[in-house]
Amino acid sequence: MFGEDDIVRSHKGRAVLIFNIVIACFIIILIRLWYLQIYKGDEFYKYSVQNRLRKETVKAPRGMIFSRNNQLLVQNVPRFDAIIVPQYLTNKKETLSKLAKILEMSEKSIYGILKKNSYQARYRPIIIKKNISRKEVAVIETENSKMPGVSVQTFISREYADKEIGSHALGYISEISQQQLPTYRERDNYNYKLGDFIGQAGIEKNFDLDLRGEDGYQFMEVDARGRMKRLIGGKNLFAGIENKAATPGNNIRLTIDRDMQKRAYDSLEDKVGAAVAVDVNTGEILAMVSRPSFDPTEFSRGLTAKYWKKLSQDEFKPMTDRTIQEHYSPGSTFKTFTAIAALEEKIVTATQEINCPPTFRLGRRVFHDWKRGGHGLTDVYKSLRRSVDVYFYKIGVKLDIDILSDYAKQFGFSSKTGVPLPREIPGLLPYKDWKLKKTGEPWQKGETLSCVIGQSYVLATPIQLAMAYATIANGGKLLQPYLLKEIFSSDGTIKKKFSPKVVNTVTVSDESLEHVKKGLYQVTNHRKGTAWWYRGRGIRMAGKSGTSQVRSMTKKELFSRCVDMPYKDRHHGIFVAFAPFDNPKVAVAAVVEHGCSGSGAAAPVVRNVIETYMKKYEPETYAKYAKEDKENARRIYLQEKKMKEEAARKLEESTEDDE
Amino acid sequence: MNTSAILEALKKYDFSFFGICAAIFLMGVVNLYSATHASVSSHMANLYKVQIGWYLVSLLIGIVISFIQPKNFFRFSWLIYGVNIFLLVLVLILGHKGMGAQRWLVIGPIRLQPSEFMKMSSILVLARWYATSSPDKELGFKQLIVPFIIAFIPTLLIVVEPDLGTGLLILLIFFVISFYRKLKWKTIAILAIIGVISGGVMYQFGLKDYQKRRIITFLDPSADARGSGYNAIQSKIAIGSGKVIGKGFRKSSQASLNYLPENHTDFVFSIFNEEHGFVGSLFLITLFIVLFYRFIWLAQSVPRIYESIVIIGIMSIFFWHTFINMGMVTGLMPIVGLPLPLMSYGGSSLMTFGVCCGIATSISNSRNLF
Repeated sequence: MFGEDDIVRSHKGRAVLIFNIVIACFIIILIRLWYLQIYKGDEFYKYSVQNRLRKETVKAPRGMIFSRNNQLLVQNVPRFDAIIVPQYLTNKKETLSKLAKILEMSEKSIYGILKKNSYQARYRPIIIKKNISRKEVAVIETENSKMPGVSVQTFISREYADKEIGSHALGYISEISQQQLPTYRERDNYNYKLGDFIGQAGIEKNFDLDLRGEDGYQFMEVDARGRMKRLIGGKNLFAGIENKAATPGNNIRLTIDRDMQKRAYDSLEDKVGAAVAVDVNTGEILAMVSRPSFDPTEFSRGLTAKYWKKLSQDEFKPMTDRTIQEHYSPGSTFKTFTAIAALEEKIVTATQEINCPPTFRLGRRVFHDWKRGGHGLTDVYKSLRRSVDVYFYKIGVKLDIDILSDYAKQFGFSSKTGVPLPREIPGLLPYKDWKLKKTGEPWQKGETLSCVIGQSYVLATPIQLAMAYATIANGGKLLQPYLLKEIFSSDGTIKKKFSPKVVNTVTVSDESLEHVKKGLYQVTNHRKGTAWWYRGRGIRMAGKSGTSQVRSMTKKELFSRCVDMPYKDRHHGIFVAFAPFDNPKVAVAAVVEHGCSGSGAAAPVVRNVIETYMKKYEPETYAKYAKEDKENARRIYLQEKKMKEEAARKLEESTEDDE
Repeated sequence: MNTSAILEALKKYDFSFFGICAAIFLMGVVNLYSATHASVSSHMANLYKVQIGWYLVSLLIGIVISFIQPKNFFRFSWLIYGVNIFLLVLVLILGHKGMGAQRWLVIGPIRLQPSEFMKMSSILVLARWYATSSPDKELGFKQLIVPFIIAFIPTLLIVVEPDLGTGLLILLIFFVISFYRKLKWKTIAILAIIGVISGGVMYQFGLKDYQKRRIITFLDPSADARGSGYNAIQSKIAIGSGKVIGKGFRKSSQASLNYLPENHTDFVFSIFNEEHGFVGSLFLITLFIVLFYRFIWLAQSVPRIYESIVIIGIMSIFFWHTFINMGMVTGLMPIVGLPLPLMSYGGSSLMTFGVCCGIATSISNSRNLF
């Protein structure tokens, strides 16, 4: 039997063998090094000094974005920068004076730019002037040999045809940041590098992987100055190394109609607000704008400090997409859903008339109607047409808030609509439990009265309002709004097609919907309707106005003129409508922040957008309605004239009687 | 403990492993600085500082381990192995995706790479097995079954991560240990045949595209159609252009012009050669050989077979990393992405070698207790 010591010693043979093998392995390495460094050293040295193979990334062209009618909304345009590589700047003085002349800038400013960038490695190009003209490019290219160190760099700029219009939905691209690098590498399993551009907002962000394509590379020999000598091929050390072409990104066709979008944006001129138009039968978003806005083209070139300052210091936050990232109290536009709940819960019948005095008292609290004189007897049609607050207060005392919220929820309130854009917010509907959990206090009956008219805890985004009214218009199908019709590759083959998706079919009887629709129709088409003056011509819209109180008001303030108040205290104006009434096609919601009145500020926006839709997509119906509306208007004018004359005559007669 | 006792302990303390490693690390960090100093990214330019930080942490861990009695490695080897296997499984289940492979386990700010530590854990268990089951006999197939399973389980788990390089490294270590434990020549011959055949089968069915590409690139760099031959050629230009004495410190053109990607990890040896030439490499390789000699010498002067096998295992970790890395950057082997010990940037890698040196020192110190 061995002792442990002896066992170890018995392995000596193998130990020596292992050491010899180790030595042999490194002798092989040394022989190889000798071959590379001494035998072939001069050859490799020449390669390293004179001829350099450079691997250049070939950027994949990013996919383009089209409107629903195939108008190009987003494309890539090559732009040129004049650059200097300090390493090769041998004849500095002369070169710079020549360059200054070509670019029409002062020599001093060029020196300034060089100095500002002197901290970086000398082989890194410094941009002297961005976006130079073709003529300047040509001059620099021809004078190249006389100006060592100066050259032209091509840059692919992402350009947005309509600039600020609809830029929130389109989004923008910019360079990937140091912080994003690790998370995006992981998310996409793709080796992003600093300097890569990625979608940072909107469609550019959500469909980045579709739009991006795949970069390729090509090998080229460059001379000692870093200038390209020739593309690789032929017989040398690098023979056989092949380039890889870039795969262009996929294109996107949107559901957006460019004309409607433009009309919506123009209608919001000088206002802060948003508008959304959707196809009520499919959920396709036809227009989606938010003001103030920004120009995404600026981002793809690297923001200038000035533009960024302008964006970040604007108190109205131009980067916020008010259609999906901002919620408002829907105000009276929410009464529609209170009415539906009341009809369904049999609190009232449609034709039942309720007396509506100017105020409503609950305990010690007095609730005022917006109209100082009250409305008198009111049925459900009149309640919507005249937006009678007291009618809804009277419903409110009999309606449980949880039940109301459940009805509203069916129409999409308090849930994200699922629009394929980042950072959508869900809005809010109150529940008793929710309030108890949130504040620790039980629900107050008075709070229900605020909620039935769409104030206090009820919050909705403009896109939610549009979808909710579309649901009423199409007979009870809550759809998911979508922005993309299809994704197709650069050769035209369709990669992905998007189709309508029903989120929820509401459990509301058709009768209730019809009653409410009739009420909404009267808002714009009854002479006493709140939006009668904004009904337009040839569109037959049915809608509802609303004002969203920015803060609670005293009685005095309530009846003071909104426009006399400080801007920040003015109500938001909201209007939602669908059209045409007989066969609804389109629903539009508009919000004008601090616009005071829903009908006055927001209804014209909605009307304009619907008008553009009708003219473009339903020209025959539009023509027919327009003719009828014109005749109607004439008849009403004559009628009023007659009535006025009659009244004047009566007055005359009565004065005669008095005498 | 009084001063004389401390001096006595210091006299017995074997500084050779930490000493040689420190010398190699010093060359490595100077080289790393040279390879990255011209980088525009401040992250890259400061890499050498991070590397020094990692080195100090690894050194500390190594020194702490050097004071653990070797019998504890023996006692806890199965436990360490078991925990490590568990961590590998965990990586597969909720691993952190880095560059298309799940290798990391993230616990708060710490990123663990269990496959790194698996090399050492496998050695401890393999040594224990060989030391306790008739260590006086030669090994045939029968005696190889259990150790093979011990090595194969982690290999499989690491290969599916996928990290082919580290996975195969464990099999290579297993082979060195078994060879040392007197594997019969006949068995070796048969194993070699099996290895060639299974390698062929794996190539056909088991390898990912990029892995196949690397092997094709190796066999014929100019046949490469997708660019991995580019690295191999640029590496050869870097090495060759260094000639006899190199271009000098911070004079590497390949590094400063970014012709060599990953010049801070896998390709540090290329930059080293470009700047210090054949003479520099000769010096560096000599240092490595001294280190290997020291390991093998220690393996033959310890009293217990268990410790002897552990030392051979540790030697093999160093050896394979060094040999494969140098082989791949000089174009002798496919590019598999193994770091050069103590030279390449990377915390996990430094940590592994710190632990290795700690265990070797601990075993060396305990010799003198008898």
